[in-house]
Amino acid sequence: MAQNLHEFLLRLKALFLKRRLDRDMADELAFHQAMLQNRLVREGIAQAEADAQTRRAFGNASRWHERLRELWQFRSLENLGRDVNFSVRVLRKSPGFTFVAILTLALGVGANTTVFSMINGLLLRPLPVPESDRLAVLGIEQGGPRANYSFPEPLFRGLEHRHEVFSQVFAFDHADLQVRGNSGTEKVNGQLVSGDFFNALQTAPLLGRTLVPEDDGKGGNPAGFGVVISERFWERWFNRAPNVIGQRLQIDNTALTVVGVMPKGFIGADPLQRPDLFVPLALEPVLDGPNNITAAGIHGWWLNVMGRMQPGATLQQANAQVGSASTAVIHEVVTEPEMMGQFEKRHFHFIAESGSAGFTYLRMMFSRPLGAVFAMCGGILLLACMNLASLLMARGAARQPELATRLALGATRRRLVQQLLVESLLIALMGTVAGLAISPLVSQTLTVMLLGGEGDMQVDTSLDIRVFVFAAIASIVASLLVGLVPALQATSKGLNDQIKSGQHTTQAHERRRVLPRIMMAGEIALALMLVVGAGLLASSLVRLYLSGAGFDPKGLENIALSMDKQPLRGQPLMEYYRELGDRLHRQPTVTSVSFARIVPFTHRVWDEDLSVGDGKTTDTYHNSVGPDYFNTMRIPIVAGRDFNWNDTPSTGLKMIINQAAAKALFQDRSPLGQTVTKHDGKAITQYQVVGVVGDAKYEDLRSPAPPTAYLPMTQDDGDQGPSYIAVVRMTGPPGPLADAARSLATSTAPGIPMPVMTPMSVTIDESLSAERVMALLAVFFAACALIVTAVGLYGTLAYATARRTNEIGIRMALGARRTQVVTMIFLQNASVALVGTSLGLIVALLGSRLLASFLYGTSARDPWVFAGSILSLALIASAASLLPALRSARINPMVAIRCE
Amino acid sequence: MGQITDSGELIQGTLEMLVLKALLRGPLHGYSVAEWIQQTSQQMLKVEEGALYPALHRMELRGLLKSKWGMSDNNRRAKFYELTTEGQKRLNAEAQRWARLSSAVAFVMQAS
Repeated sequence: MAQNLHEFLLRLKALFLKRRLDRDMADELAFHQAMLQNRLVREGIAQAEADAQTRRAFGNASRWHERLRELWQFRSLENLGRDVNFSVRVLRKSPGFTFVAILTLALGVGANTTVFSMINGLLLRPLPVPESDRLAVLGIEQGGPRANYSFPEPLFRGLEHRHEVFSQVFAFDHADLQVRGNSGTEKVNGQLVSGDFFNALQTAPLLGRTLVPEDDGKGGNPAGFGVVISERFWERWFNRAPNVIGQRLQIDNTALTVVGVMPKGFIGADPLQRPDLFVPLALEPVLDGPNNITAAGIHGWWLNVMGRMQPGATLQQANAQVGSASTAVIHEVVTEPEMMGQFEKRHFHFIAESGSAGFTYLRMMFSRPLGAVFAMCGGILLLACMNLASLLMARGAARQPELATRLALGATRRRLVQQLLVESLLIALMGTVAGLAISPLVSQTLTVMLLGGEGDMQVDTSLDIRVFVFAAIASIVASLLVGLVPALQATSKGLNDQIKSGQHTTQAHERRRVLPRIMMAGEIALALMLVVGAGLLASSLVRLYLSGAGFDPKGLENIALSMDKQPLRGQPLMEYYRELGDRLHRQPTVTSVSFARIVPFTHRVWDEDLSVGDGKTTDTYHNSVGPDYFNTMRIPIVAGRDFNWNDTPSTGLKMIINQAAAKALFQDRSPLGQTVTKHDGKAITQYQVVGVVGDAKYEDLRSPAPPTAYLPMTQDDGDQGPSYIAVVRMTGPPGPLADAARSLATSTAPGIPMPVMTPMSVTIDESLSAERVMALLAVFFAACALIVTAVGLYGTLAYATARRTNEIGIRMALGARRTQVVTMIFLQNASVALVGTSLGLIVALLGSRLLASFLYGTSARDPWVFAGSILSLALIASAASLLPALRSARINPMVAIRCE
Repeated sequence: MGQITDSGELIQGTLEMLVLKALLRGPLHGYSVAEWIQQTSQQMLKVEEGALYPALHRMELRGLLKSKWGMSDNNRRAKFYELTTEGQKRLNAEAQRWARLSSAVAFVMQAS
C-alpha cells in the first residue's frame, strides 16, 4: 500500500516535471556513455571504434528514453488521453450524429435540471439562517382535507409565550407598505413580524439592532415603533448613509424610527419574499387603520406562524406538544362559546411540521404541478437516453469491421469498451454542459410564467450544491445508460464472428437481435405516454378558456387605486370616484368605465350568509360595484335595473344578484323587489333585490359561477376600506390610458401610490399560471419527444437497413420486385412501432389517471386525445420506417452485390 | 536482462538483487554499479545497460532506492543511487531466498 502510494506520488511528480525528467534521463545516459568511452580508450581502443561500441551497447537513444519514460507514466491515464483523442476524431467525423446526440441529451438534462432547480428553490432550499433545520412551521388541523397555515392573531399570541418545546414562536405576514418620500408615495414590499421573529432567525443586523419582543407591544418602545430595513432599501432610500439609525420613515401615515439594517442575505422566513421593511406585528391596527385585521380577532385568519425548537427537542415532540396545548390555548383566547363549539366539534388542534425551508403558501399551489412536470422531464431524459443508446447501438453495428480489426490486432475487450465508453461520455459531457448552460435561462422564464401574478416574489433557482449533485447524477446515469449497453453489445460477439463481419452469415443473426427492437419499442411507448399527457393537459386548458368567464375579458383594463391611506370617506369619496370615472371616460379610446371592489380571478373572496326569511342561509359571494359595471363587463342584465349614482344609503339598501343566487335563494319565484337578509353574527341587514344578472365566475375559471350578490358602491359602509378598482372597457392599445390614469391620479389624489393597470386577459392568464405552465411544458416536451423519437427511429432503422444492402441486392437479383422489398422492410420496421404503441397505450391508460386531478372538463381517457396521440406517433413511426424502405428499393442489385 | 558471459540468462529478479548488493557499500552511479558487478563476478556477469537502467528506475519507483544528483570522481554531473531502508530489507530477503535456492539446486545437481 505504502509502496503504491510512493509510486503514485513519484509518477505524479514526473507528470508535472516531465521536461526535467527527460533532461535527467538524457544526462544519466550521456554520463554512462562518457564513462564507457573513457574506459575503452584507456584500454587502448581507437576513439572511432569506442564510439561505435558504445552506440551498439545502447542502441537507439529515443527507444531507450521511451522505455524509461514508460516506467514513470500512468499507463491508464495516458491511455485515457489517447482514447479521448481518438473519440474526438471519431465524433468529428460524423458531425450530424454528434449534433443530434448532444442536442438530445442537452434537452433531457437541461429540462430536468431546470425543473429540479425550481423544485429546489420552492421546496427544498433551506432558509439562509443559522441552524434552519431547527425551525418548524405551525399549522391548524380542523378535520378539513388540508391543514390550514393561517392563524388568527389571538391564537398566535396564545402560542407565542409557550416555551415547552420552542425557544421562540413567531408570526409574520406580507404587507404592502406605502412609504412617503421626496418624490411622492411609493409602495414597498414589507413584512409584519412578531417580537421573536429576529431572535428565532438568529441573523445579526448589519447596522443597529433587530426588532425584539419589546417592540411588539402596544405603542412599541417608549421611543415609538421601530422599523428594520433591508440592505437593498438602505442603499436605495438612504444611499447607504451610516447615520440611518434613528432616522424617521413615514410609513402608511405613521412615523417609524429605523432601528436596524439587515444584510442582503437575509430574506425573512418566506423563501419567495424579499421584504424591504420589517415592522412590528402590533403596529398592524395603526397602519391599516379602521380596516385592520387584528381587530377581527379570532375571525381574521392571516398570520403564518413558525417556531424555533429548543435544543434537543425533536419535531415529533414539538408536534405532540403543540397538539396537546391546543385545548388550553383555545380556552385561553376564544371568548365566543359558538366559536369554541365549532373548534371542539372539528377536533381543532395545532400541528408542527419541518420548517427548514421556511413557509410559503405557493408551495401548496405548485408542489403537485411541479411534481407532474418533473415526472415528464424524467420521461424526456429517459427517452433521450434510450434514443441515444439505440443510435449508438446502430452505429456500433455499423462499426463492427473496425472493432473486429482492432480486436484482431490485439486490443482487449476492456480497452474497446473503455474507448466506446469514453466516446459516449464525451457526448454525455457536452450534452450535460449544454443543458446546464441553458438551464438558468429556462428556469428564469419558467419562474416568471409561474409567478407572473405575484410580482414581488421570486424563486431562487440559482445553482446550488443540491442542483449540482442532481445534475451530476442525472448526467452520469444518462451517460452510463447511453454508453455502457451499446459498448457491451458492440463488442459482445466472439472474435471469429467479428472477423466474419460484413459477411452474409452474420446478417441473419443481426436481424434477430432483440435489444435494439426493445429499445425502439420502449422509445415509442414512452413518447406516446408523453404525447397523451400533453394532449390531455392542453385540451383541458383549451376547455378552461372556452368555458368562458361569464363576462368579456377582451379590451377590459383594471386600474387599481390604493385609496386606503388618504382621508376621503363616505359621500365625498364617491364624488371623487364619480369624477375620476367621468374623466377616464373622456379618454378617446374608452367606451365605458365602472368600479369594483374585487376583480374576478385575483384570489380575493368576500362572502356572506344570505337568506330570504325561510330560515335557510345561502353562502353567497359578494362584490361592491359602481354604476354601469355590468355593461362594462358585458354581463347581461336579465331582469330589473342597474345601479346608479342615486342609490345612496338614504334610499334603502339595494342588491343585484346573479342567476345562480336567484335560483339558490328564490328557486322559481321572481326575485325582483324581494327582500334579502344578511346574517353577520347577531347583526342583520336587509337588502332589496333590484336586478338579476347573468352568471360570472368569481374565484377562478375552474369553478362554475357561484351564487353572487352585487352591492352598489354608493351604499358601501366602508367596512372593507375605501379602495376600488376602476374597470375600463376600451378599444385600441392600453398605453395612452395608463399614462392618463397616472396623471389623473397624481392631479386628483397626490397622496396615493401610482395606480397599477392590468389587462383582464393577463389576470385570467395569471390565475391559470399553473395550468398554463403545465400544459405549455407538456406540449413542449411532447413535441421534443416526437422529434427525438422520429430522429432516433429514423437513424436506427436507416442504419439497420443500410446494413442489409447486400441481402436486398441478392433478393432483387433473384427476382423480388421493388414494391415487395419496400413492403417487407416497411412491415418489419412498422411492427416494432406497433408493439411500442400498444405498450405505450396500455401504460398511458393506466397512468393518465394520475393527471385526472389537473384536468378540467376532460376525461383522463379522452378518446380524441388518445386517438390523436396514437395517430401522430403512427405517422412519425411510419415516416421513419418508410424512408429507409424506399431507399432500399433504389438499390441496384449488381452494385450492391459487387460492393462487398 | 543481465547476462552470464557463457550465454546463460540471469534468473529473473536476480539483477535487482545484485544491484541492491552493489549499493550496500554506499551510493553509486549506474556505471559504477555495472562495473562493480562485473569486476566482483570475475568478469563472469556482464550487466547490459539496456537492462540496468530500467531496473534502477523501477526500483526507485518502488521505493527500494532513492537517487540524488552529485559530482563524480572526474567532476561530471551524475545520478547517484542509494539504498533505502525498504531496499535493505529487500536485499536481506532476497539474499536468504537466493541462498536457499542455490543450495537446493546444488543438492539436486550433486545427486548421483
